[in-house]
Amino acid sequence: MLDKMSPLGRLDAYGKGENIDRLPCVPIVGNTAARVIGVKVSELRNNGPSLAEAQVEAYRLFGYDTIRIFTDLYVQAEAMGARVVKPSDETAYLDAPAITDASQIERLRPADPAHDGCLPAHLAATRIAVREAGSEVPVTTALTCPFTNASFLIGTENLVRLMYKDPAAVHKLCELSLQTSVAFAEAIMEAGATPSLTDPMSSSTVISPAKFREFSLPYLARLITHLHAAGKKVTLHICGKTDRIWDSMVEAGADCISIDNQIDLGRACVEVGDRVRLMGNVAPSEVMLQGTPDDVRSAVRTCVGKAWRSPKGYIVASGCSLPTETPFTNIHAMMDAVREIGFPVTEEKLREES
Amino acid sequence: MADEASLFQDISDAVVAMDEERVVDLVRAVIEKKIDVYEAIEKGLSHGMERAGQLFEEEEYFVPELLICSDAMYAGLDLLRPYLKRSDEGSKHKVVIGVIEGDTHDIGKNLVKIMLETAGFELHDLGRDVPAPRFVEKAREVDADIIAISTLMTTTMDGMAEVIRLLREANIRDRLKVIVGGGPVSQGFADRIGANGYAANAGAAVKLARRLLDGETVHAG
Repeated sequence: MLDKMSPLGRLDAYGKGENIDRLPCVPIVGNTAARVIGVKVSELRNNGPSLAEAQVEAYRLFGYDTIRIFTDLYVQAEAMGARVVKPSDETAYLDAPAITDASQIERLRPADPAHDGCLPAHLAATRIAVREAGSEVPVTTALTCPFTNASFLIGTENLVRLMYKDPAAVHKLCELSLQTSVAFAEAIMEAGATPSLTDPMSSSTVISPAKFREFSLPYLARLITHLHAAGKKVTLHICGKTDRIWDSMVEAGADCISIDNQIDLGRACVEVGDRVRLMGNVAPSEVMLQGTPDDVRSAVRTCVGKAWRSPKGYIVASGCSLPTETPFTNIHAMMDAVREIGFPVTEEKLREES
Repeated sequence: MADEASLFQDISDAVVAMDEERVVDLVRAVIEKKIDVYEAIEKGLSHGMERAGQLFEEEEYFVPELLICSDAMYAGLDLLRPYLKRSDEGSKHKVVIGVIEGDTHDIGKNLVKIMLETAGFELHDLGRDVPAPRFVEKAREVDADIIAISTLMTTTMDGMAEVIRLLREANIRDRLKVIVGGGPVSQGFADRIGANGYAANAGAAVKLARRLLDGETVHAG
C-alpha cells in the first residue's frame, strides 16, 4: 500500500488539525537498518555514509515518518572517555565508564562533536540523510540526555549512590554531560536535523520521581531550551515506568513524549495529552520482535483505540528502539495497520475485522 | 529481651533509613553485649532489607535507595561475619545467577542477588555477559538448586532458552529450577521457554525462589 502524503506533509497537516491520509507512524528502527542494506551492525557506528545509507534505505523500504540516526546510547560518553565494546554484528555496549570515582571528575572534559569518538561520523550521516531525504521526511539524530550520559561516565551504581552521598558530584557530571549534549545538539541542528532526546536512566524503573526532579529535570529543561531557541520541536523518550514523571517531562519542555509499553497509554492521554503529543506504546519485544504480523496489527489497533482522540495527537510507534532482529514483515505490518485504519480514525474502523 | 528486641528494631530501622553509620554502631553494640548474632541478622539486618524490598515493590524506594540500604546491611553483616559458625553456611539453598551473554546491564541482577542473599540463599554470581554453557557448568559444580538469569535487552533473550536446552541435554533439567527476569521478559516468555518461573522485580524473585523450593527436599549430591 502506498502513501499519498510525504511524512513532512503529513506531520505538518496533522499538527494543524488538517486532513491527512493516515496517522503518523514510527517503528523506531535502530540497528535493524543494518539488515536493510546487508551490512554488519558494527559497520554503521563509525561510518557516516553507511549509517546514512542504512537509515535512509530503511525509511524508503518501510515508509515511516521520521529518520533517526542512531547506533547506541554510548556515543557521547565514549567521546568523553568511556570504553565501549563493539561486537561485530550486535549493538555496541558499555564496557567501562570514563571514571570510577568522584575524585576523577576533574579529568573529564565536554566532548567536541567535530573530533571526539564517533560523533563526527554520526554528524556526517546526519548531513547525508538530510541531503538525501530531508525534503520529504524529518531527519533526527539520537541524543543521549545528561543524566543518562552521566551514568555512563561513572557507572550507574556509582552514580545512584552519589545521589545520596555526594549530590554535588552528580550535578558536576550532569553539567559536563549537558555541555556535551548542547554542543552535539548544536552540531546536529547545523547539519539540518533535529536532536531526538533519549533518557532511559531517568525512568522511574531506576530512580524515584523526586530524584528525577532533582538530578535530571534541570538539565533536560536547559537542553530543551536550547532546542526551542533554534525553533525545534522536541521529542523526549524515556523507557520503563514513567507515569509519575509525565508532568515533569512536560515541564522540561518536551513537545512530544515517547513512552514505552509498561505504562497505560489511555491514562497518559487523560493526564498529559492536552499538553503534549504522545508516541509509542507498541511493545518492541513481545509484539514487534516475537509476535506475528496479526499480533502487530492488533497491538496497533489497541494503541490507536486508546490514543487517537488525544488532544495534541498520537504517533503510532514502538515503545523503544526495535531489537535488531525484528522481522521486516512485522515492521511492514505496523505500517499497513496504520494505513488500513486511515484517517480520520473512527470507532467503526477500529472495530472492523479483515 | 525487651532491650534486644528494641535493638533489633533499631538495626532494621537504620537499614531502611539508609543510615550505614548507625547500622555499624548498633551492630557493634550487638557484639559488645554478646547478643545472638543470628538473631541480630534475622530480626535486624535482614528484616530491614526485607522492608526496603517491600518499599521497592511499592515504588516508594527505587534502585538508589535499595542499593544504599544494602550497603548499610552489608556493612553490618561484615562486622558480624567473624562471629558466624562456618558449618551453618552449608545448609543454604544455592543459586547461580548471571546476566545472559550479550547484555552488560547488571543492576537488576545485582538487586536480585542482594535480596536473595538477604533471604538466606547462597549466591554464585557469574556477573554479566555470561555464555549459556557457563550457567550449566557452574550449576553442576556447586550443585545449585536454582539458576537465575536476567537480561534487560530484547536481543539476548534467546540465550535464556539456550540455558534450558543445555540443561535438558545434560539430563539435569529436573534437578533444579530456572527463574528469569528483566525488562523485556514476561511470564509468557518464561512459560514459552520452559522456565520454572518469572519475577518482575527483586522482591518478587525472593518470593518466587521460596515458593519453588517450598516443601521440596533438596536433592542429594
